[in-house]
Amino acid sequence: MSETSFPMNDLLRRKLQTSLVVVSLTLCVASTLFLLLFGDKMGFGISLMVEDRLTAGLSTVFSRFIMFIGFLVFVVGAVVMSFMGFVMMSQRARDIGLMKAAGCPNDLIFGYFMTELLIVTFVGCFLGVILGTLADFASTGLLNGFGLQISQKPINFWLVFLVFALFFALALIFGAKPILDTTKVEPAKAISPMYNFGLSKEPGFKVISKFGFTFKMALRSLFRRRSATTRIVLCLATVFILVTVAVAGGVIADQTTKSWIEKAVGRDVVLIAHQEMCDQYELLLSKFCEAKAELQFNYTKEEYLIPESLLNQLRSISGIVGIDARLVAKAHIREVPGYVFDPETGATTSVGESREGESLIVGIEPGNVLSEWFLDGEFLRESQQEEAMIGDSLAQKMFSKPLIQTVILFNRSFDVVGVCLDPINNGNVTYVTLKALQNVTGVSKPNIIMVRVDPTNREETLNQIRANVSAISSEFEVFELNEVLGKNLGFLDYIWSTIMFLPLFSLAAASLCLIGYVMLAITEQRQEFGVLRAVGAKPRTVVKIVSGQSLVVLLSSCAAGIAFGIIITLLILVPEPLVTIYTVIEIAGWLLTALAATFILSLYPAIKFAKKPILEIMA
Amino acid sequence: MKTGKDVVLASGLCKTFEIGDVKVEALKDVNLGVARGEFTVISGPSGSGKTTLLNIIGGIDKPTSGKIVVFGKDLGVRDEDFLANFRCQNVGFVFQSYNLVSTLSVAENVAFPMEWARKPENHIKEWVEELLKVVGLQHRADHFPFQLSGGEQQRVAFARALANDPPLLLVDEPTGNLDSKTSIKIVEILQKLKGDGKTVIVATHDERIIQLADQKLYLEDGELVSLNE
Repeated sequence: MSETSFPMNDLLRRKLQTSLVVVSLTLCVASTLFLLLFGDKMGFGISLMVEDRLTAGLSTVFSRFIMFIGFLVFVVGAVVMSFMGFVMMSQRARDIGLMKAAGCPNDLIFGYFMTELLIVTFVGCFLGVILGTLADFASTGLLNGFGLQISQKPINFWLVFLVFALFFALALIFGAKPILDTTKVEPAKAISPMYNFGLSKEPGFKVISKFGFTFKMALRSLFRRRSATTRIVLCLATVFILVTVAVAGGVIADQTTKSWIEKAVGRDVVLIAHQEMCDQYELLLSKFCEAKAELQFNYTKEEYLIPESLLNQLRSISGIVGIDARLVAKAHIREVPGYVFDPETGATTSVGESREGESLIVGIEPGNVLSEWFLDGEFLRESQQEEAMIGDSLAQKMFSKPLIQTVILFNRSFDVVGVCLDPINNGNVTYVTLKALQNVTGVSKPNIIMVRVDPTNREETLNQIRANVSAISSEFEVFELNEVLGKNLGFLDYIWSTIMFLPLFSLAAASLCLIGYVMLAITEQRQEFGVLRAVGAKPRTVVKIVSGQSLVVLLSSCAAGIAFGIIITLLILVPEPLVTIYTVIEIAGWLLTALAATFILSLYPAIKFAKKPILEIMA
Repeated sequence: MKTGKDVVLASGLCKTFEIGDVKVEALKDVNLGVARGEFTVISGPSGSGKTTLLNIIGGIDKPTSGKIVVFGKDLGVRDEDFLANFRCQNVGFVFQSYNLVSTLSVAENVAFPMEWARKPENHIKEWVEELLKVVGLQHRADHFPFQLSGGEQQRVAFARALANDPPLLLVDEPTGNLDSKTSIKIVEILQKLKGDGKTVIVATHDERIIQLADQKLYLEDGELVSLNE
């Protein structure tokens, strides 16, 4: 028997086993490669696309998510691959023992089974690479067909090669371990069921008898198969970290960021201003989701200013619950360095580079303002005329440590006391008090008014406002911000739902892994299941035992994965997360669905096995 | 066929296995009757079809043709759920290779058929102790199968087969893998079962067991011959 003919014949004779391992490896490589290629377009592509459209604060949250998910996808692929290699060769342990017992030299046995491993791994990885690339092309084409614009980029051959090489190596390394381990032990031990599948130790615990024999058998087999169980728990836990970060993180980040935007823009808020001013304000807000170019615009034109009489009339309308008068302008601003004192050395270090640029300047009345910003630092105070609050994008682009720095606008300096997340002008904005802005610009009136309408009496109030506004001037307009707010929230929805779509494929790979584990469990307990059936157990008892094992593995890995995923999301990925009862229910719903789908899929081999005749099982 | 043989009635039993293109006839037109309390021994060379015949009588396997009626039930036409219940309630099986469940202790191996028969917990506990006493392994109750010798495992297999006090016991080569000293204990257990009036069918070459038989049958190349006649 030559070294090449034995492995080929052995693989061909085990048609079912061989094809299952090849299919598992193929799907694992394919799904990981697909995730990376497709994620590059869907995820990282979006990340680049939104760089100039999301405010800096949101971009940071989003990029962190994408990077983390990309990393986890690769880790999941690697863990799954190593598990598959291990499972495949664990199923050969008894054969290796038998060959040793028959007198076959160790190096020859190692050669036979390594050749088998090489053939199967190469075929699996090769087919996986082809399938993954094809799936990427097909999915891109399909989604473009549905109207999503995803670029059909040329294949990144380096990435394809990297995935192939890495996964091939991982499967070889982890597959070689059981072969090496078995070739090292004495033949009697190798053929013993106590050694196969890691059964070298006596079950070290007693299960309380009330759990029943089914559960007892399931649990003891899990502990007996310690090595494989640890690996599958690790593998599934990684997958569930990925799923949790994507799903729970996605839901939390979606709701949190939407809440930031909603509070900053304001719900049930209408804008009253000159028609041209209204259009400009809408464009400034829409920069967040539509990336429209800013027009050259003179904000402080006399005709844009709101007459005091209109303000007085608005104050008399009972359906208005808040009036926020603002003066919007545009100015050239300059960063002023701040100083940091080091108490240990006593030295003072300058912070800042005296950068200059254009910014939208908004004067507000701190006591009347309708927006609630997600804020780092403090809010403006009416009594402090020399304070400024800047948008997150401006803070990132033009300041080093904004909260200890000063900004100069209209030749007057303002201490930066807060950094806010604001979609207007995509975060490129400076807020000062209305009085201060009026002083420095010489413009005595506001040019926009924002009013919050009582939602219970909305239409009547809006009609009253419109009547008052048109009585003052036909050029003034009442504009509802809900529409543009809806667009902004819809855009955030789109990008977060895209992220949540990615882990579906990892879940599929995880299900395959669990199926592999269930097959290993069945192979190991085959004889025992046959005996149970012969002694009077029904086929469903076998399914119960296997599903019990599958459930324990799934729940323990799920608990660990979800716990880590939530911690990562809340502590690292989303600052000041918004978690409501609905968020928890939504996340729980998604994760339970994922769990149930994985569990049901994993039962397939057990159900198929349970239908076999007893003698075939015991053979 | 003899009258009064109401426990097992087999008529025209044939069993053919197909291995690729090759057909192997394991049983050829086997006719058999076993009466209540009868101790039947089936002997014959290795590969003659003894295990196949026991499997068919026990409802583990189905004949290719012919009829097998055990306790009045035609096992050839019943579904798997019925057969599982039937085996649990009516048949005790002792396999040649012991086939204990390695994840269960000795006591648990004996107890689990009773769990499936939904016997009360107290009864299970008492009966397990009783059975382990019968086979002389009460001191091994908490051990696991891999901690036992072959003879001890075989005795646990006997205890398990008797767990639900089945009216029919099928025993396949009980001393085939054991040394003569250990075999004596197995023969003693079979003697006791015969004394208790159990219906027992044993496939064996062991002369000591053949001598216990009320009915001696010989199987060769799938054909059954009665040695009594």
